Amino acid sequence: MYSIKEYLTNDHRRCDDVFTKMEALASEKLLDAKETTKEFVGDMERHFQREERVMFPEFEEKTGMLNGPTEMMRQEHAQMRNLMAQLLQAIDADDKEKFFGLSETLMILLQQHNMKEEQMLYTMAQQHLASDAQRIIEMMDSLCVE
Amino acid sequence: MNFTGLSLDQAPPLSVPFRYFFVAPLFAMLAGIVLLFNDIMPLDRFSREVIVATHLITIGFFGFVMLGALTQMLPVIANATIKKVKLIATFSHTNMVIGLLSMVYGLLMQNQVVLTGSYVFLGLGFFTMLFAILNSIREVKNVTPTIGGMLSSVSFAIFIVSLGVVLLFEYAFSSIGFYHYALANIHSTLAIFGFAGMLIVGVSFQVLPMFYVAPSFGDFVEKKFISILAIVLLLWSLSNLFYTQWVLYIKLLLIVCFLYYAFILYRTLKMRKRKIQDNTIRYFYTAIVFLIMGLVLWLMDDYTQESFIVFVGIFVGAFILSIMQGMLYKIIPFLVWFHLNAKGYMSIPTMNEMLNKKLALWQYRFFIGSIVFFLCSLWIDRMVTFSYISFIVSMGLLEYNMIRAYKIYRLTCKKKPEFDMSGFTS
Repeated sequence: MYSIKEYLTNDHRRCDDVFTKMEALASEKLLDAKETTKEFVGDMERHFQREERVMFPEFEEKTGMLNGPTEMMRQEHAQMRNLMAQLLQAIDADDKEKFFGLSETLMILLQQHNMKEEQMLYTMAQQHLASDAQRIIEMMDSLCVE
Repeated sequence: MNFTGLSLDQAPPLSVPFRYFFVAPLFAMLAGIVLLFNDIMPLDRFSREVIVATHLITIGFFGFVMLGALTQMLPVIANATIKKVKLIATFSHTNMVIGLLSMVYGLLMQNQVVLTGSYVFLGLGFFTMLFAILNSIREVKNVTPTIGGMLSSVSFAIFIVSLGVVLLFEYAFSSIGFYHYALANIHSTLAIFGFAGMLIVGVSFQVLPMFYVAPSFGDFVEKKFISILAIVLLLWSLSNLFYTQWVLYIKLLLIVCFLYYAFILYRTLKMRKRKIQDNTIRYFYTAIVFLIMGLVLWLMDDYTQESFIVFVGIFVGAFILSIMQGMLYKIIPFLVWFHLNAKGYMSIPTMNEMLNKKLALWQYRFFIGSIVFFLCSLWIDRMVTFSYISFIVSMGLLEYNMIRAYKIYRLTCKKKPEFDMSGFTS
């Protein structure tokens, strides 16, 4: 049985693993990394939607914090979605230099984002949503990505 | 709980950290020039030229880079913001630049008036920023190991700057007291292992997992190491003044601590999931080698009548320089990208496009060359000239690459590429 913090933190680690696999493949031959890049983008999108469509609204309803940390996280998700779209474009253009420039930026942005979530937001969510944790995790787990 | 610092939007303006970063390689170049044009072998650590060159590196490079990095890292890592950061940075930076240049001039020209002014300016510059940082850390509720490292580092910095002001005062007025050289030893050792070392250790806990998807350093290291280091450094300082019979044992303890850190750092780097090779990784591995060489020589130093002490300084200094240069290669392009992105521009150059990677590699080679040539000067005196030249070129290339990134920032701002509206459409 996971807590919300553990569940979403594990999600971060899973995405990190796919990211490193994607870069390792891309360093050999960029086009070979296309499927793994799609997998990474898909995993990230699922994670974002688990937060944006389930955890954030629950947190906002419980705490009344509508323009607080969740809003900032949404903005950072938008930044990362933009970079991920460019990653796929770089593969289509077979532009390795561009790909690694983008992956470098994405990695730092992603890690500092994860750090804020894991150290601050998830801990707060844990405190406020403890009694509904299992229901929220089940909702996140069964979410269909739009 | 304060959420304002959660966003990088709360980060200081780009000009705040950059003003510190930009002058650092220039001061390092000046250090090389002072040694080159005075044509000296820096084997006497208390000679004027060596004191000048040492402080151009320690204050000019280490100090400026660390303060610049702290202004940037505090909001992101510690969720702490420095109030009126631009005003404080302008005041502190200006005083530090004037102070350091006056110190150089005052020492080289033996000008007592200028030298007196230098410690006033340096003291004002350092203390203003250090106390502002300390004040912002005071409000942090969740003190992580990295924040603990920052706090210890800044506390040591306040102590060594105070000590430095006293030493400079004694030097300026030729009132070298009984404890002058013991205090000078404490000043230099705490500056290296306390101010710089603690910050490097603390920040590495955070940035290695962040940049390279590396494992954490482990509970013991992250929770205990900073406190152990701080205690050992304090014991070492006390033993130097009052219990000299214990110095060797405590020094051994200090060496073991940093050797252990070198091992953990190496292990963490080897275990990183992100296997890419870049200048930062190159510099991290190089730093480990220099740290081990410096520590081993420092250990031998007691048995060789201090004949290696200059090399200890060179290697430990090269360790810090390597880490800082490596970090600059990450921080500079990311900050430029981040500030452009925050403006909402769509087509921003990537981090890899901000820096000239070929030049960065040459910069690394010249830096290594400077240390190798210096080592060779043990056997062939003239090699020291090549060492200074290689060091000056290396720092020049670092400066060029940083200016290049900033020029890209200015150029992109001027062009105003189309705005990204994706944040408003989802």
